[in-house]
Amino acid sequence: MTEAAIRLDRVSKSFALDNGKQLTALSEIDLTIGKGEFVALLGPSGCGKSTILRLAAALETPSTGRVSIEGREPQSLSKAHRLGVAFQDHALLPWLDIFANVALPFQVAGRKVDPSRVNELIALVGLEGFEKARSRQLSGGMRQRASIARALALQPNVLLLDEPFGALDAVTRRQMNLELQRIWSAQQITTLLVTHSVDEALFLADRVIVMSGRPGRIIRDIKIPFARPRLPSVMREPGFHALVDELTMALEPELAAP
Amino acid sequence: MILRSEAMHRLVLGAVGVGLFLFIWQLVGTYRLAGMTWPPLSDVLIFISDPARQTLFVRAMGASFTSVAIGYVLGIFCGVAVAMLGQVLPVARPGLDRLVAVIHAVPLVALAPIFMVLANRDLTPPAISALGVFYMIYVATTSGLKAATHSHRDVFSALGANAATRFFRLELPAALPALVSGMKLAIPVAFIGAIVGEWFGASRGLGLLMVSAMQNFQIPLLWSAVLIVTTASLALFGLMSLVERLIYGRFR
Repeated sequence: MTEAAIRLDRVSKSFALDNGKQLTALSEIDLTIGKGEFVALLGPSGCGKSTILRLAAALETPSTGRVSIEGREPQSLSKAHRLGVAFQDHALLPWLDIFANVALPFQVAGRKVDPSRVNELIALVGLEGFEKARSRQLSGGMRQRASIARALALQPNVLLLDEPFGALDAVTRRQMNLELQRIWSAQQITTLLVTHSVDEALFLADRVIVMSGRPGRIIRDIKIPFARPRLPSVMREPGFHALVDELTMALEPELAAP
Repeated sequence: MILRSEAMHRLVLGAVGVGLFLFIWQLVGTYRLAGMTWPPLSDVLIFISDPARQTLFVRAMGASFTSVAIGYVLGIFCGVAVAMLGQVLPVARPGLDRLVAVIHAVPLVALAPIFMVLANRDLTPPAISALGVFYMIYVATTSGLKAATHSHRDVFSALGANAATRFFRLELPAALPALVSGMKLAIPVAFIGAIVGEWFGASRGLGLLMVSAMQNFQIPLLWSAVLIVTTASLALFGLMSLVERLIYGRFR
């Protein structure tokens, strides 16, 4: 591994509940993601994997420990407009067309919109011809493409994806995984993907981190050996199946018991 | 295509409803079913269109509609401004909410005499009208400014948006549908405010015409004034419904 892009150093996060109790979402997380690495965070719902992503996206601050991106606070990267995010909810602005949505980070950063960059991204995610369309006219998969294009607009230092395909049907999701791999290969940007799909994590990532349920802890950290570019056929290989089984067992320990 | 025929269907039903209402009005008036004080619609229309009364109506309409317009625009301006103040200064928000609620809790009718003695009597109609509109618009704008979704806010935060960018690029456009709905609902309020204000002794206007017609038992004049106000209010309400549709289609 080369230099660290995202580092979590003994990070814990607890939330105060309405009834006065504390909910510990994460406890003592140590995680290092290398520059240009694609890491998938896999875990049951409520394990705090989205919290890790939100810490990196400067949307939360850790209760204890330290989060840094390329040696800096996430907040300072966010202020410098160096973060790219996409969520399960595409979060495209309904009053803007696709071009303007992809161009939004330029405007938020107070920069002049670079139309050739925006058009290049729209082409990269395969939305040529839909520049003037509104998000509600697009399918779920197309909205997510636009959302990923927006995340990439300013060539961010890290790309943070929180269940970006979680609301899509299985077939579209498979297609979007192929698309994301292609887009990522073209950009080679440090990427953190939160997902609960084992197939998706294995197909896309260089490394898969498996987390346990509450409080969230890292229980597995597996390097994925398949060469890139990965073809869909990789999902039919025995090695892929073995890893799927291994990770599924890790996710649901009660299934592992005889 | 289905949508269009559905809209057509609703339009036809609406027209039938209005036609039925006018027909019953005419019927009740013609056969004196509600006594002498309910004239048939045709009598009222003839009364309004009499050229000898043109100046009377035009003058009254000019005064009332000016009050409505001033009250409406002023109310919207103040409502949006105060709501934006609450957004920019969150500390002031609970205080503003309470103040506006208290102002609204005082009946407008009770405030009118106070305005009368406080200021020029011709300022009372636009003032009462503006007060009613202000409340509507304040409520609509504050709830609209909360309409942006969590994920939209998260995207803006992660992208490093400052408060001004967030306000003008996210919160304000997200608030537009609620604001326009408020502007639609504020149309009848603006009319009520102006007419009530005039009852208390403005020097001209349709409200004054109503009061004096009622006191002098000029039944066709009374109904004419009411018909003019109602028609104007409904027409503007309909127009704002169209604007609302347009905004909803674009901003949601």
